[in-house]
Amino acid sequence: MIISHQIIVIGGGPAGLNAAKYAANAGADVGLIDSGLRLGGQYWRHTGNAEVDESMHHNFDQGSLLMDAVNANPRIEVYLESQIWSASVINNMIILRTKDQTFQTQRLIIATGAYDRSLPFPGWDIPGVMTAGAAQALLKGNGVIAGQSVVVAGTGPFLLPVAAGISSHGGNVVGVLEAAKRLSWAPKISVLIQNPSKILEGIGYIKSLRKSKVEMRFGQAVVAAHADEDGLLESVTVANIDKDFHVKSTYLLKCDVAAISWGFTPDTSLAGSLGLKQGVRNDGSVIIEVDKDQRCTHSHSEVEIYAAGESTGVGGSDLALAEGAIAGLATAHSEKSSSQLRKLRHRAQKFADVLLQVYPVAAGWKSWLTPQTLICRCEEVTYQKVREACEELNARSARDVKFMTRCGMGMCQGRICTRNVSDLFDSEDHDRILATYRPIITPITLGELAQEGLL
Amino acid sequence: MISFTFNGVELKGQSGQSVSAALLVNKERINRYARFSGAPRGLFCGIGVCFDCMLIINGQPNLRGCLTEIQPGMIVEVQNDH
Repeated sequence: MIISHQIIVIGGGPAGLNAAKYAANAGADVGLIDSGLRLGGQYWRHTGNAEVDESMHHNFDQGSLLMDAVNANPRIEVYLESQIWSASVINNMIILRTKDQTFQTQRLIIATGAYDRSLPFPGWDIPGVMTAGAAQALLKGNGVIAGQSVVVAGTGPFLLPVAAGISSHGGNVVGVLEAAKRLSWAPKISVLIQNPSKILEGIGYIKSLRKSKVEMRFGQAVVAAHADEDGLLESVTVANIDKDFHVKSTYLLKCDVAAISWGFTPDTSLAGSLGLKQGVRNDGSVIIEVDKDQRCTHSHSEVEIYAAGESTGVGGSDLALAEGAIAGLATAHSEKSSSQLRKLRHRAQKFADVLLQVYPVAAGWKSWLTPQTLICRCEEVTYQKVREACEELNARSARDVKFMTRCGMGMCQGRICTRNVSDLFDSEDHDRILATYRPIITPITLGELAQEGLL
Repeated sequence: MISFTFNGVELKGQSGQSVSAALLVNKERINRYARFSGAPRGLFCGIGVCFDCMLIINGQPNLRGCLTEIQPGMIVEVQNDH
Protein backbone atom coordinates (compact mmCIF):
# COMPACT_ATOMS: atom_id res chain seq x y z
CA MET A 1 0.00 0.00 0.00
CA ILE A 2 1.25 3.45 -0.88
CA ILE A 3 0.87 6.19 1.73
CA SER A 4 -0.19 9.54 0.26
CA HIS A 5 -0.07 12.99 1.80
CA GLN A 6 -0.68 16.44 0.34
CA ILE A 7 2.69 17.45 1.75
CA ILE A 8 5.54 15.28 2.97
CA VAL A 9 8.30 16.69 5.17
CA ILE A 10 11.55 14.73 5.46
CA GLY A 11 13.40 15.34 8.71
CA GLY A 12 12.04 15.98 12.21
CA GLY A 13 14.57 18.54 13.46
CA PRO A 14 13.87 22.26 13.99
CA ALA A 15 13.29 23.03 10.28
CA GLY A 16 11.13 19.97 9.53
CA LEU A 17 9.05 20.28 12.70
CA ASN A 18 8.27 23.93 12.03
CA ALA A 19 7.59 23.25 8.36
CA ALA A 20 5.09 20.52 9.29
CA LYS A 21 3.45 22.73 11.90
CA TYR A 22 3.03 25.76 9.63
CA ALA A 23 1.83 23.66 6.68
CA ALA A 24 -0.71 21.79 8.83
CA ASN A 25 -1.96 24.98 10.47
CA ALA A 26 -2.51 26.35 6.98
CA GLY A 27 -4.89 23.46 6.39
CA ALA A 28 -2.71 20.90 4.62
CA ASP A 29 -2.54 17.17 5.31
CA VAL A 30 1.11 16.49 6.24
CA GLY A 31 3.28 13.41 6.62
CA LEU A 32 6.49 13.91 8.61
CA ILE A 33 9.16 11.25 8.07
CA ASP A 34 12.25 10.88 10.24
CA SER A 35 14.95 8.20 10.47
CA GLY A 36 15.33 8.54 14.25
CA LEU A 37 13.53 6.86 17.13
CA ARG A 38 12.18 10.19 18.35
CA LEU A 39 11.46 13.58 16.84
CA GLY A 40 13.83 16.47 17.48
CA GLY A 41 16.64 15.80 15.03
CA GLN A 42 20.22 16.17 16.20
CA TYR A 43 19.58 19.54 17.82
CA TRP A 44 16.78 18.36 20.09
CA ARG A 45 18.00 14.77 20.39
CA HIS A 46 16.63 13.41 23.64
CA THR A 47 16.16 10.23 25.65
CA GLY A 48 12.42 10.50 26.20
CA ASN A 49 12.99 10.76 29.96
CA ALA A 50 11.82 14.33 30.71
CA GLU A 51 14.05 14.88 33.72
CA VAL A 52 17.20 13.76 31.92
CA ASP A 53 16.30 15.75 28.81
CA GLU A 54 15.75 19.02 30.70
CA SER A 55 19.20 18.71 32.27
CA MET A 56 20.94 18.06 28.94
CA HIS A 57 19.62 20.97 26.93
CA HIS A 58 20.00 24.70 26.90
CA ASN A 59 16.51 25.28 25.51
CA PHE A 60 14.67 22.01 25.52
CA ASP A 61 11.39 23.78 26.37
CA GLN A 62 11.22 25.30 22.91
CA GLY A 63 11.83 21.91 21.30
CA SER A 64 9.47 20.00 23.50
CA LEU A 65 6.65 22.51 22.88
CA LEU A 66 7.17 22.21 19.14
CA MET A 67 7.34 18.39 19.23
CA ASP A 68 4.18 18.27 21.35
CA ALA A 69 2.41 20.62 18.93
CA VAL A 70 3.37 18.40 15.98
CA ASN A 71 2.40 15.18 17.75
CA ALA A 72 -0.95 16.63 18.84
CA ASN A 73 -1.85 18.05 15.42
CA PRO A 74 -4.52 15.82 13.78
CA ARG A 75 -3.38 17.01 10.33
CA ILE A 76 0.16 15.67 10.85
CA GLU A 77 1.02 11.98 10.64
CA VAL A 78 4.50 11.20 12.05
CA TYR A 79 6.56 8.26 10.72
CA LEU A 80 9.63 7.46 12.87
CA GLU A 81 12.48 5.00 12.28
CA SER A 82 11.85 5.58 8.60
CA GLN A 83 15.05 6.14 6.69
CA ILE A 84 14.46 6.91 3.03
CA TRP A 85 16.64 4.80 0.78
CA SER A 86 15.14 5.86 -2.53
CA ALA A 87 13.65 9.11 -3.81
CA SER A 88 12.51 9.72 -7.35
CA VAL A 89 9.85 11.43 -9.45
CA ILE A 90 7.67 9.01 -11.41
CA ASN A 91 4.59 10.07 -13.41
CA ASN A 92 4.48 13.52 -11.81
CA MET A 93 4.59 12.03 -8.35
CA ILE A 94 7.43 12.08 -5.82
CA ILE A 95 7.99 8.51 -4.64
CA LEU A 96 9.88 7.86 -1.40
CA ARG A 97 10.77 4.43 -0.12
CA THR A 98 11.73 3.30 3.36
CA LYS A 99 12.36 -0.31 4.39
CA ASP A 100 8.74 -0.77 5.38
CA GLN A 101 6.78 1.74 3.36
CA THR A 102 6.34 3.61 0.12
CA PHE A 103 5.16 7.22 0.22
CA GLN A 104 3.90 9.50 -2.53
CA THR A 105 3.24 13.22 -2.70
CA GLN A 106 3.33 16.14 -5.10
CA ARG A 107 4.69 18.57 -2.53
CA LEU A 108 7.86 17.82 -0.63
CA ILE A 109 9.87 19.69 1.98
CA ILE A 110 13.45 18.48 2.53
CA ALA A 111 14.78 19.20 6.01
CA THR A 112 17.53 16.61 6.30
CA GLY A 113 19.89 18.79 8.35
CA ALA A 114 23.63 18.44 8.59
CA TYR A 115 26.32 16.39 10.26
CA ASP A 116 29.77 17.19 11.68
CA ARG A 117 32.46 18.17 9.24
CA SER A 118 35.52 15.99 9.84
CA LEU A 119 39.04 16.71 8.64
CA PRO A 120 41.42 13.80 8.10
CA PHE A 121 44.63 13.58 10.15
CA PRO A 122 46.98 10.72 11.06
CA GLY A 123 45.12 8.36 13.40
CA TRP A 124 41.60 9.75 12.91
CA ASP A 125 40.36 6.18 12.40
CA ILE A 126 41.49 5.03 15.88
CA PRO A 127 38.55 4.08 18.15
CA GLY A 128 38.19 6.98 20.57
CA VAL A 129 38.50 9.65 17.90
CA MET A 130 34.98 10.76 17.15
CA THR A 131 33.05 13.80 16.07
CA ALA A 132 31.93 16.33 18.66
CA GLY A 133 28.41 15.52 17.47
CA ALA A 134 28.95 11.85 18.41
CA ALA A 135 29.97 12.83 21.94
CA GLN A 136 26.93 15.10 22.10
CA ALA A 137 24.59 12.36 20.81
CA LEU A 138 25.97 9.94 23.42
CA LEU A 139 25.18 12.44 26.15
CA LYS A 140 21.88 13.89 24.95
CA GLY A 141 20.42 10.71 23.49
CA ASN A 142 21.88 8.10 25.83
CA GLY A 143 23.01 9.84 29.01
CA VAL A 144 26.51 8.46 28.39
CA ILE A 145 29.80 10.35 28.77
CA ALA A 146 32.01 9.41 25.83
CA GLY A 147 35.18 8.58 27.81
CA GLN A 148 37.26 8.95 30.96
CA SER A 149 39.35 11.87 29.69
CA VAL A 150 37.93 13.81 26.79
CA VAL A 151 39.55 16.36 24.50
CA VAL A 152 37.06 18.58 22.65
CA ALA A 153 38.60 20.20 19.58
CA GLY A 154 38.00 21.77 16.19
CA THR A 155 36.33 25.11 15.65
CA GLY A 156 33.06 26.90 16.19
CA PRO A 157 30.55 27.64 18.93
CA PHE A 158 29.35 24.00 18.96
CA LEU A 159 32.47 22.97 20.91
CA LEU A 160 31.18 24.89 23.95
CA PRO A 161 27.91 23.01 24.62
CA VAL A 162 29.67 19.70 23.95
CA ALA A 163 32.45 20.40 26.46
CA ALA A 164 30.13 22.04 28.99
CA GLY A 165 27.65 19.15 28.73
CA ILE A 166 30.33 16.53 29.39
CA SER A 167 31.97 18.40 32.26
CA SER A 168 28.75 19.46 33.98
CA HIS A 169 27.59 15.82 33.97
CA GLY A 170 30.72 14.66 35.75
CA GLY A 171 32.96 13.91 32.77
CA ASN A 172 36.62 14.88 32.70
CA VAL A 173 37.31 17.32 29.85
CA VAL A 174 41.11 17.61 29.66
CA GLY A 175 41.01 20.50 27.20
CA VAL A 176 38.87 22.49 24.79
CA LEU A 177 41.00 23.35 21.78
CA GLU A 178 39.56 26.06 19.55
CA ALA A 179 41.47 26.60 16.30
CA ALA A 180 40.41 30.24 16.05
CA LYS A 181 42.32 32.90 17.95
CA ARG A 182 40.99 34.23 21.24
CA LEU A 183 38.53 37.10 20.62
CA SER A 184 38.33 36.22 16.91
CA TRP A 185 34.68 37.31 17.13
CA ALA A 186 35.47 40.80 18.45
CA PRO A 187 35.57 42.55 15.02
CA LYS A 188 32.07 41.21 14.32
CA ILE A 189 30.55 42.25 17.61
CA SER A 190 28.05 44.65 15.98
CA VAL A 191 26.32 41.75 14.19
CA LEU A 192 26.68 39.26 17.02
CA ILE A 193 25.13 41.63 19.56
CA GLN A 194 21.91 41.63 17.52
CA ASN A 195 21.42 38.04 18.68
CA PRO A 196 21.72 38.51 22.46
CA SER A 197 20.19 35.13 23.29
CA LYS A 198 23.03 33.36 21.46
CA ILE A 199 25.65 35.49 23.23
CA LEU A 200 24.08 34.70 26.61
CA GLU A 201 23.98 31.00 25.72
CA GLY A 202 27.71 31.10 24.93
CA ILE A 203 28.52 32.94 28.16
CA GLY A 204 26.55 30.30 30.07
CA TYR A 205 28.71 27.51 28.63
CA ILE A 206 31.93 29.40 29.34
CA LYS A 207 30.85 29.96 32.95
CA SER A 208 30.00 26.29 33.28
CA LEU A 209 33.43 25.30 31.91
CA ARG A 210 35.17 27.68 34.33
CA LYS A 211 33.20 26.20 37.21
CA SER A 212 34.44 22.72 36.23
CA LYS A 213 37.97 24.15 35.83
CA VAL A 214 38.10 23.14 32.16
CA GLU A 215 40.80 24.97 30.25
CA MET A 216 40.01 26.54 26.90
CA ARG A 217 42.95 27.02 24.54
CA PHE A 218 42.88 29.03 21.34
CA GLY A 219 44.84 28.70 18.11
CA GLN A 220 45.28 24.96 18.73
CA ALA A 221 44.20 21.80 16.91
CA VAL A 222 44.51 18.02 17.18
CA VAL A 223 46.81 17.07 14.28
CA ALA A 224 47.54 13.40 15.10
CA ALA A 225 46.10 10.62 17.25
CA HIS A 226 48.00 7.73 18.81
CA ALA A 227 46.82 4.26 19.81
CA ASP A 228 47.88 2.00 22.67
CA GLU A 229 48.79 -1.66 22.16
CA ASP A 230 45.10 -2.62 21.97
CA GLY A 231 44.60 -0.15 19.13
CA LEU A 232 42.63 2.32 21.25
CA LEU A 233 43.21 6.04 21.57
CA GLU A 234 45.70 6.95 24.32
CA SER A 235 46.92 10.42 23.30
CA VAL A 236 46.75 13.13 20.68
CA THR A 237 49.31 15.51 19.26
CA VAL A 238 48.08 19.06 19.75
CA ALA A 239 49.55 21.79 17.59
CA ASN A 240 49.72 25.53 17.97
CA ILE A 241 48.63 26.59 14.51
CA ASP A 242 48.82 29.83 12.58
CA LYS A 243 45.86 31.42 10.82
CA ASP A 244 46.46 29.22 7.76
CA PHE A 245 46.37 26.10 10.00
CA HIS A 246 50.07 25.36 9.58
CA VAL A 247 51.76 23.78 12.61
CA LYS A 248 54.05 26.05 14.65
CA SER A 249 54.78 23.76 17.62
CA THR A 250 53.27 20.64 19.19
CA TYR A 251 52.72 18.87 22.49
CA LEU A 252 51.21 15.54 23.54
CA LEU A 253 47.94 15.31 25.46
CA LYS A 254 46.70 12.07 27.06
CA CYS A 255 43.04 11.23 26.47
CA ASP A 256 40.82 8.28 25.61
CA VAL A 257 38.35 10.32 23.55
CA ALA A 258 39.02 13.17 21.13
CA ALA A 259 35.71 14.74 20.09
CA ILE A 260 36.42 16.91 17.06
CA SER A 261 34.17 19.06 14.91
CA TRP A 262 35.09 21.49 12.14
CA GLY A 263 31.62 22.91 11.73
CA PHE A 264 28.95 21.05 9.80
CA THR A 265 28.28 19.63 6.35
CA PRO A 266 24.77 19.91 4.91
CA ASP A 267 23.10 16.60 4.05
CA THR A 268 22.22 17.04 0.38
CA SER A 269 21.91 13.38 -0.63
CA LEU A 270 18.20 13.66 -1.51
CA ALA A 271 18.98 16.65 -3.74
CA GLY A 272 21.13 14.41 -5.90
CA SER A 273 18.48 11.77 -6.34
CA LEU A 274 15.70 14.29 -7.02
CA GLY A 275 17.81 16.32 -9.47
CA LEU A 276 17.70 19.54 -7.46
CA LYS A 277 19.99 22.45 -8.22
CA GLN A 278 22.89 22.61 -5.79
CA GLY A 279 25.27 25.42 -4.98
CA VAL A 280 28.60 25.97 -3.27
CA ARG A 281 28.88 28.31 -0.30
CA ASN A 282 31.92 30.46 0.56
CA ASP A 283 33.17 27.83 3.01
CA GLY A 284 33.14 25.19 0.25
CA SER A 285 30.05 23.36 1.51
CA VAL A 286 27.64 22.03 -1.09
CA ILE A 287 24.08 23.17 -0.40
CA ILE A 288 20.60 22.76 -1.86
CA GLU A 289 19.80 26.05 -3.59
CA VAL A 290 16.46 27.66 -2.72
CA ASP A 291 14.65 30.89 -3.64
CA LYS A 292 13.08 33.36 -1.19
CA ASP A 293 10.18 30.93 -0.56
CA GLN A 294 12.64 28.07 0.12
CA ARG A 295 11.65 26.53 -3.21
CA CYS A 296 14.18 24.31 -5.03
CA THR A 297 15.03 24.45 -8.72
CA HIS A 298 14.41 21.27 -10.75
CA SER A 299 13.08 20.13 -14.08
CA HIS A 300 10.05 18.11 -12.90
CA SER A 301 6.71 19.60 -13.82
CA GLU A 302 3.67 19.10 -11.57
CA VAL A 303 5.66 18.59 -8.39
CA GLU A 304 6.84 21.19 -5.87
CA ILE A 305 9.99 20.66 -3.85
CA TYR A 306 11.18 22.92 -1.04
CA ALA A 307 14.14 22.71 1.33
CA ALA A 308 14.71 24.30 4.73
CA GLY A 309 17.28 24.26 7.48
CA GLU A 310 20.89 23.13 7.40
CA SER A 311 20.64 21.30 4.06
CA THR A 312 20.31 24.74 2.42
CA GLY A 313 23.36 26.08 4.29
CA VAL A 314 24.40 25.61 7.89
CA GLY A 315 23.08 28.40 10.09
CA GLY A 316 21.79 27.06 13.40
CA SER A 317 18.37 26.38 14.86
CA ASP A 318 16.92 29.91 14.69
CA LEU A 319 17.58 30.07 10.97
CA ALA A 320 16.26 26.53 10.52
CA LEU A 321 13.03 27.36 12.36
CA ALA A 322 12.44 30.49 10.24
CA GLU A 323 13.20 28.65 7.00
CA GLY A 324 10.97 25.76 8.03
CA ALA A 325 8.06 28.08 8.77
CA ILE A 326 8.45 29.91 5.43
CA ALA A 327 8.68 26.61 3.55
CA GLY A 328 5.63 25.27 5.40
CA LEU A 329 3.49 28.28 4.47
CA ALA A 330 4.69 28.31 0.86
CA THR A 331 4.18 24.58 0.36
CA ALA A 332 0.65 24.80 1.78
CA HIS A 333 -0.06 27.71 -0.63
CA SER A 334 -1.05 29.79 2.39
CA GLU A 335 -2.20 33.39 1.98
CA LYS A 336 -0.70 34.21 5.36
CA SER A 337 2.04 36.83 5.28
CA SER A 338 5.50 35.60 6.06
CA SER A 339 7.14 39.04 6.20
CA GLN A 340 7.90 38.72 9.91
CA LEU A 341 9.44 35.29 9.31
CA ARG A 342 11.54 36.69 6.48
CA LYS A 343 12.95 39.32 8.84
CA LEU A 344 13.82 36.59 11.35
CA ARG A 345 15.44 34.56 8.59
CA HIS A 346 17.46 37.53 7.40
CA ARG A 347 18.79 38.26 10.89
CA ALA A 348 19.65 34.61 11.56
CA GLN A 349 21.33 34.33 8.15
CA LYS A 350 23.54 37.35 8.88
CA PHE A 351 24.52 35.81 12.20
CA ALA A 352 25.33 32.49 10.52
CA ASP A 353 27.44 34.17 7.84
CA VAL A 354 29.45 36.00 10.49
CA LEU A 355 30.06 32.77 12.44
CA LEU A 356 31.55 31.19 9.30
CA GLN A 357 33.95 34.13 9.05
CA VAL A 358 34.87 34.00 12.73
CA TYR A 359 35.51 30.24 12.70
CA PRO A 360 37.10 29.50 9.31
CA VAL A 361 38.75 26.21 8.34
CA ALA A 362 41.99 27.13 6.55
CA ALA A 363 43.60 25.01 3.84
CA GLY A 364 46.72 24.35 5.93
CA TRP A 365 45.06 21.22 7.38
CA LYS A 366 46.38 19.43 4.31
CA SER A 367 49.88 19.81 5.78
CA TRP A 368 48.83 17.55 8.68
CA LEU A 369 48.46 14.56 6.33
CA THR A 370 51.10 11.85 5.99
CA PRO A 371 51.23 9.40 3.05
CA GLN A 372 49.52 6.75 5.22
CA THR A 373 46.69 9.00 6.48
CA LEU A 374 43.31 7.70 5.41
CA ILE A 375 41.30 10.10 3.27
CA CYS A 376 38.35 7.73 2.75
CA ARG A 377 37.66 5.77 5.93
CA CYS A 378 35.24 3.29 4.33
CA GLU A 379 37.42 2.22 1.41
CA GLU A 380 40.65 2.81 3.36
CA VAL A 381 42.12 5.06 0.66
CA THR A 382 45.31 6.74 1.86
CA TYR A 383 46.59 10.20 0.98
CA GLN A 384 49.41 8.47 -0.91
CA LYS A 385 46.86 6.70 -3.16
CA VAL A 386 45.17 10.02 -3.85
CA ARG A 387 48.50 11.59 -4.79
CA GLU A 388 49.39 8.62 -7.00
CA ALA A 389 46.08 9.09 -8.79
CA CYS A 390 47.08 12.69 -9.51
CA GLU A 391 50.73 12.20 -10.30
CA GLU A 392 50.73 8.82 -12.05
CA LEU A 393 47.18 8.41 -13.33
CA ASN A 394 46.71 12.07 -14.27
CA ALA A 395 43.63 12.70 -12.16
CA ARG A 396 42.65 16.33 -12.68
CA SER A 397 39.61 16.72 -10.45
CA ALA A 398 38.03 15.42 -7.29
CA ARG A 399 35.72 13.28 -9.45
CA ASP A 400 38.70 11.71 -11.23
CA VAL A 401 40.19 10.79 -7.85
CA LYS A 402 36.90 9.28 -6.77
CA PHE A 403 36.72 7.01 -9.82
CA MET A 404 40.40 6.01 -9.69
CA THR A 405 40.74 5.36 -5.96
CA ARG A 406 37.19 4.58 -4.73
CA CYS A 407 37.38 7.59 -2.40
CA GLY A 408 33.76 8.21 -1.45
CA MET A 409 32.38 4.93 -2.83
CA GLY A 410 32.09 3.00 0.43
CA MET A 411 29.28 2.40 2.90
CA CYS A 412 28.87 6.07 3.89
CA GLN A 413 28.67 6.94 0.20
CA GLY A 414 31.09 9.81 0.48
CA ARG A 415 29.31 11.67 3.25
CA ILE A 416 32.47 11.93 5.35
CA CYS A 417 35.25 12.29 2.75
CA THR A 418 33.74 13.92 -0.35
CA ARG A 419 34.07 17.44 0.97
CA ASN A 420 37.72 16.79 1.87
CA VAL A 421 38.49 15.24 -1.51
CA SER A 422 36.99 18.33 -3.14
CA ASP A 423 39.10 20.50 -0.82
CA LEU A 424 42.27 18.66 -1.81
CA PHE A 425 41.54 19.86 -5.34
CA ASP A 426 40.09 23.21 -4.49
CA SER A 427 40.61 25.56 -7.36
CA GLU A 428 39.40 29.07 -8.02
CA ASP A 429 36.30 27.88 -9.85
CA HIS A 430 35.23 25.87 -6.77
CA ASP A 431 34.98 22.59 -8.64
CA ARG A 432 33.18 20.43 -6.06
CA ILE A 433 31.69 16.95 -6.14
CA LEU A 434 27.94 17.54 -5.89
CA ALA A 435 25.38 15.01 -4.69
CA THR A 436 24.49 12.88 -7.71
CA TYR A 437 21.62 10.59 -8.61
CA ARG A 438 21.79 7.44 -6.52
CA PRO A 439 19.07 4.86 -6.97
CA ILE A 440 19.94 3.69 -3.46
CA ILE A 441 20.62 6.55 -1.06
CA THR A 442 21.47 4.48 2.02
CA PRO A 443 22.49 0.82 2.01
CA ILE A 444 19.70 -1.77 1.94
CA THR A 445 20.00 -5.56 1.82
CA LEU A 446 19.11 -7.63 -1.24
CA GLY A 447 16.61 -9.46 0.98
CA GLU A 448 14.82 -6.21 1.73
CA LEU A 449 14.72 -5.33 -1.97
CA ALA A 450 13.34 -8.78 -2.74
CA GLN A 451 10.63 -8.42 -0.10
CA GLU A 452 9.48 -5.26 -1.85
CA GLY A 453 9.22 -7.19 -5.09
CA LEU A 454 11.89 -4.99 -6.62
CA LEU A 455 14.23 -7.82 -7.59
CA MET B 1 18.74 -2.46 33.31
CA ILE B 2 18.88 -4.64 30.23
CA SER B 3 21.18 -7.66 29.76
CA PHE B 4 22.76 -8.34 26.39
CA THR B 5 25.86 -10.18 25.25
CA PHE B 6 28.92 -8.87 23.41
CA ASN B 7 31.21 -11.53 21.95
CA GLY B 8 29.56 -14.01 24.31
CA VAL B 9 30.08 -11.97 27.48
CA GLU B 10 27.01 -10.74 29.33
CA LEU B 11 26.86 -6.94 29.70
CA LYS B 12 24.28 -4.54 31.05
CA GLY B 13 22.89 -1.32 29.62
CA GLN B 14 20.05 1.09 30.21
CA SER B 15 16.77 0.76 28.38
CA GLY B 16 16.67 3.22 25.47
CA GLN B 17 20.43 3.25 24.95
CA SER B 18 22.00 2.56 21.58
CA VAL B 19 24.20 -0.52 21.21
CA SER B 20 27.25 1.75 20.74
CA ALA B 21 26.46 3.74 23.88
CA ALA B 22 25.89 0.61 25.97
CA LEU B 23 29.19 -0.85 24.74
CA LEU B 24 31.09 2.35 25.63
CA VAL B 25 29.66 2.28 29.15
CA ASN B 26 31.11 -1.24 29.40
CA LYS B 27 34.47 0.07 28.11
CA GLU B 28 34.08 -1.79 24.82
CA ARG B 29 35.30 0.58 22.09
CA ILE B 30 35.90 -1.71 19.11
CA ASN B 31 32.87 -2.37 16.91
CA ARG B 32 34.54 -3.81 13.85
CA TYR B 33 37.84 -4.50 12.09
CA ALA B 34 38.44 -2.77 8.75
CA ARG B 35 38.38 -4.83 5.58
CA PHE B 36 41.88 -4.24 4.18
CA SER B 37 44.06 -3.19 7.13
CA GLY B 38 42.23 -5.12 9.83
CA ALA B 39 42.54 -2.00 12.01
CA PRO B 40 39.94 -1.60 14.75
CA ARG B 41 37.11 0.89 14.31
CA GLY B 42 34.59 2.30 16.75
CA LEU B 43 31.88 4.90 17.04
CA PHE B 44 32.77 7.92 14.90
CA CYS B 45 29.88 10.14 13.78
CA GLY B 46 27.38 8.75 16.28
CA ILE B 47 24.36 9.72 14.18
CA GLY B 48 24.14 7.10 11.45
CA VAL B 49 26.15 8.86 8.75
CA CYS B 50 29.59 7.22 8.69
CA PHE B 51 28.85 3.46 9.07
CA ASP B 52 32.03 2.93 11.11
CA CYS B 53 30.17 1.45 14.10
CA MET B 54 28.79 -1.51 12.12
CA LEU B 55 28.35 -4.70 14.16
CA ILE B 56 26.72 -8.10 13.95
CA ILE B 57 23.45 -7.93 15.89
CA ASN B 58 21.42 -11.12 16.41
CA GLY B 59 23.33 -12.65 13.52
CA GLN B 60 22.75 -9.83 11.07
CA PRO B 61 25.92 -7.99 9.97
CA ASN B 62 26.40 -4.35 8.91
CA LEU B 63 23.99 -2.88 11.45
CA ARG B 64 24.90 0.52 12.83
CA GLY B 65 25.40 0.34 16.60
CA CYS B 66 24.63 4.04 16.97
CA LEU B 67 21.14 3.64 15.47
CA THR B 68 20.13 0.33 17.06
CA GLU B 69 18.59 0.32 20.52
CA ILE B 70 19.67 -2.47 22.85
CA GLN B 71 17.01 -5.07 23.65
CA PRO B 72 16.98 -7.71 26.40
CA GLY B 73 18.93 -10.80 25.32
CA MET B 74 20.37 -9.12 22.22
CA ILE B 75 23.40 -10.94 20.85
CA VAL B 76 26.01 -8.43 19.70
CA GLU B 77 29.29 -9.42 18.06
CA VAL B 78 32.27 -7.53 16.76
CA GLN B 79 32.28 -7.49 12.96
CA ASN B 80 35.50 -8.68 11.38
CA ASP B 81 35.55 -7.49 7.77
CA HIS B 82 39.25 -8.32 7.39
